[in-house]
Order: sequence, then C-alpha cells, then structure tokens
Amino acid sequence: MSRFSNESIFGEATDWSVWDVNVRVGPSGPNGHLGMHTPALLAEMSRFFIQKAVAGHWTGLEYDANVGNEKLAAIHEERLIPAWTPLPDTESISQLVRRKPSAVRLMPRNPNHSWTVTSWCAGELLDYLAQHRIVTLVAREDIEWESLVNVLENFPQLPLVLLDIGYRFDHYIQPLLRRFPSLHFESSTYLAYRQLENLVDRCGPDRLLYGSRLPLFTAATSLGVLASARISDNARLAIAGGNLRRLLDAVTVGGAK
Amino acid sequence: MMCSPIPVLDAHGHLRLRVRFPYKTEPEQMLEVMDALNIEALAVTASLACWNDVPSGNAEVNDVLRKHGKRFRGYITVNPHVPGEALRELERWSHFHNPPLIKVHPGAHQCPVNSPKYDAVWDYADQTGAIVLVHTWDSHPMCGPLMFPPIAKAHPRASILLGHSGVTWRGYEQAQDAAVAAPNLYLELSGSQRNRTMLERCVNRLGAERIVYGSDMPALDPAGTLADVFTAEITDEDKEMILRFNFLRLLGES
Repeated sequence: MSRFSNESIFGEATDWSVWDVNVRVGPSGPNGHLGMHTPALLAEMSRFFIQKAVAGHWTGLEYDANVGNEKLAAIHEERLIPAWTPLPDTESISQLVRRKPSAVRLMPRNPNHSWTVTSWCAGELLDYLAQHRIVTLVAREDIEWESLVNVLENFPQLPLVLLDIGYRFDHYIQPLLRRFPSLHFESSTYLAYRQLENLVDRCGPDRLLYGSRLPLFTAATSLGVLASARISDNARLAIAGGNLRRLLDAVTVGGAK
Repeated sequence: MMCSPIPVLDAHGHLRLRVRFPYKTEPEQMLEVMDALNIEALAVTASLACWNDVPSGNAEVNDVLRKHGKRFRGYITVNPHVPGEALRELERWSHFHNPPLIKVHPGAHQCPVNSPKYDAVWDYADQTGAIVLVHTWDSHPMCGPLMFPPIAKAHPRASILLGHSGVTWRGYEQAQDAAVAAPNLYLELSGSQRNRTMLERCVNRLGAERIVYGSDMPALDPAGTLADVFTAEITDEDKEMILRFNFLRLLGES
C-alpha cells in the first residue's frame, strides 16, 4: 500500500462517523467541470470516509428551487440527507411541509430566488423551520451579518448553520456563538492556522459541524485540518459528525435522518 | 494525527502574523505544528515587512534564523516604494540564504509587479539566481498570474514562485498558462480555495517538477494543503517532488 494512500493518511477517520453538512449534488452551470451526480459523489465521499452528507441540489441552488427540489426528491440514497431549497411564499411552504424536511438550505440572495430573511417576507417560513427545529443552512455570502442577527433574535429555536464562513471572521462568529445558542457553522473554509484549536478553547466543540464543500473543494483539506487539530478526541468526534447528528435528532418532522 | 510520510519543505510561511485573530503564532509554537506534521523547514517572510515596515520585519527574520536556523529559511522582503531601500535590504540580509530568497507582495504594497519600481529587484534576482516568492491572485491588477511571463523571460536566472497560484480556479488556470509560457515560473500551492481535481490538472499540464508545497502558515493551517497533496490522484513520486525535492533543488540544498 502506498504510504500516501488515504487509508494511511486518514485511517483514523474510519472511526469518526463523519457526517458532512455541506455537499451539493447534480450538475452545475458555473462549476460544470466539478459537478457530480449521485454515484460519483458517493464514491468521492467514500474515498474520504464520509458516511453521510446533507446535500442540496445544484439545480435548486443555482436555478429554480422547485425544479431542484423535484430532482432532489428523485434521489433515493440513504447516505444523502436532502437539504431542500425553500422559498417564502405560502405555496412553496406547503410543498416543503409535504416533504417532511430534516434540512433546508436558504438561498435568499440568489437572483433566481430573490427574497429576504426579514420577518415581513419570510416570517411564515422561518417560523415553520424554527417550530420543527429543521436544520437550516445558509451560506455567509447569502446573508448579511445584521440580517443573521435579526433571524437569530426573532427565531431563537431555529437551528441555523452558517456555511462557507471563511477563515477571517472569528471576530464575528465567536461573539455570535456566545450570544445565540442556536447558531452553528461548518468547517469547509475554516482553515486558518490552529483555528479549530482556538475555537474549541474559547467556545467549546459543540457548534462546529464538519463540512467538505464537495464537489467544489476536495474533502482532503477540511478532513486534514480536522485530523491534525490539537483538540481532544471527544471534540474531534463531535465536529466530525456528532454535532450534526444531535441537530438532526432534534427535528420534530421529517424522515430522512 | 495526520503526518507526512516524508519530511516536508514548506516554501511559504510568515512570522508573527498579528492580523485578524492571532493564536499561538510565535515561532516556537509554529514548530510544534511543524513537528507534528513532519514539516522539516519553513521559508518565512515577516508579516510586518509584507504589510508595513520592511527593515524591522527583515530584522525579525534575522532573529529567528539565528535562533532556529535549521528549521527556517528566510525571505528578504522588499518594498518598492522607498527609493533605494530594496537593494539596501537585499545587501544587508544577504547572509539569509544563498541563493537569496526574496519576497514580493504587490498587493500589500499596492504596486503592480511589472512596475519599474521593481526593476532593481528583478535585476538583482537575475544576477544572483534568487528564488522570488510573489503573492498572486486571480486577475489582480497588481499581481495577476498573467503579468508574470514577460518578467520571468526577462530574468531567466531567477526562479519565481507564483504564491497561491492565483488562488481560485480561474487563478490557477492563469498560473498554469503563465508557467507554460516561462520555464522559470513555478506554482506554489498555499491557499484557502482547494478546488477538487485542480492539483491533478496542474501536474498533468506542467509536470510535478514545476510545483512546490507552501502552507502560508500561520495564516492558514498547513494541514489543509498537505492533505490535498497527500490524497491527489498523482503518483507518489510526484507528491514527493512537490512536498520536498523541488524546493530543495531550487534552494541548492539537494
């Protein structure tokens, strides 16, 4: 076996029960060279010991929410937990309720979706998500910091997971974590030197969820940072998948755990 | 804990990065991380020099080389804006390494890399066979990768490392185009946007001998880029060249 094999490098990850909160499936327009359909995505997850992933459909994320959701519904794969793409209108909320969601991914600033997370626009949607503790993903580029704070203040039961936070925002995220117990974030771009160690020292390990950003990014990067972080084994297990499983277990509707 | 199976040479590091959210960034604390990952040596520039005060920053590098000379190599950082300072600094710190290691940060110093203000630095690099690490970014007006082929062709004895290889997918494509155009341009891998399959594309197009590992420590976690190289679908020989032997060869230490 090569000394650079994934088993040699990441062998210990087989015992971590890695669950990934930041995955996309399907074709992509701007990232067409990197898009993956389900079989290829599952193979890539296996290569990096990722057991399950919360996956949005790129068609919904880039184009039309309902078309993407239909494509996501057609994927019957127990390793992929659907992250439905909701819209704030009553009809779309009704469709979402029928899907019994465990997770959603909000894309309010996408011009093809075009809505705002303010209560006067999305109050009904956010109230439903919060009431049922549905894991709600939103990328940092899709929500202003002040809008995020408003959502967290107005919907304190909403388990919100900030994606793609980058590595330059600890002065933002750490105060927010202290103030809002329902706020979490994921690790795919949280890649600064000793940053996981710093976070665990200051805020504990329970608010960070492992994310790869597959298939855009290689999962090697985020897994390597997690594997080498100078944190306790329990903290590593929580970040690798325990925290995500805890959030999914708290969902009161839905079926795709 | 993840660890490199071979001792790694890291072409891109900093000293005392105090911006954003510093945490355990003293050289001795960086050595803890290097030891755990099997990074044998790290070539560093002082962050103070990149962003503000070149003479004081280069003096910090000098101090670290005195204390930990086996584990660090020192870049001499230059500021193009202070008349005569760049050559003074290059001469003052010429004992850092032979051939010289020079750091140019056009973005931080807000000076296009092809500005005449850098001419003396490029001439010095050509005369001494220096290794020049330059910060680059996708299409950036100060340091976009496509600005480099004319500079490299005019200074063929210098080895120019395209720091971060342009960062983004498009930046990497530009860095590859530049490296195809000039044989003394090299891709340096540190960066926060690690697109899947990009390293394989670079190796297929340029050959592994044109690529060097860099971490950007202590800005970025060195484990991220290391893991990308470890798990890339390229040969073990390619990985060893990228992680160690290419930079060793450029340093003249092989």
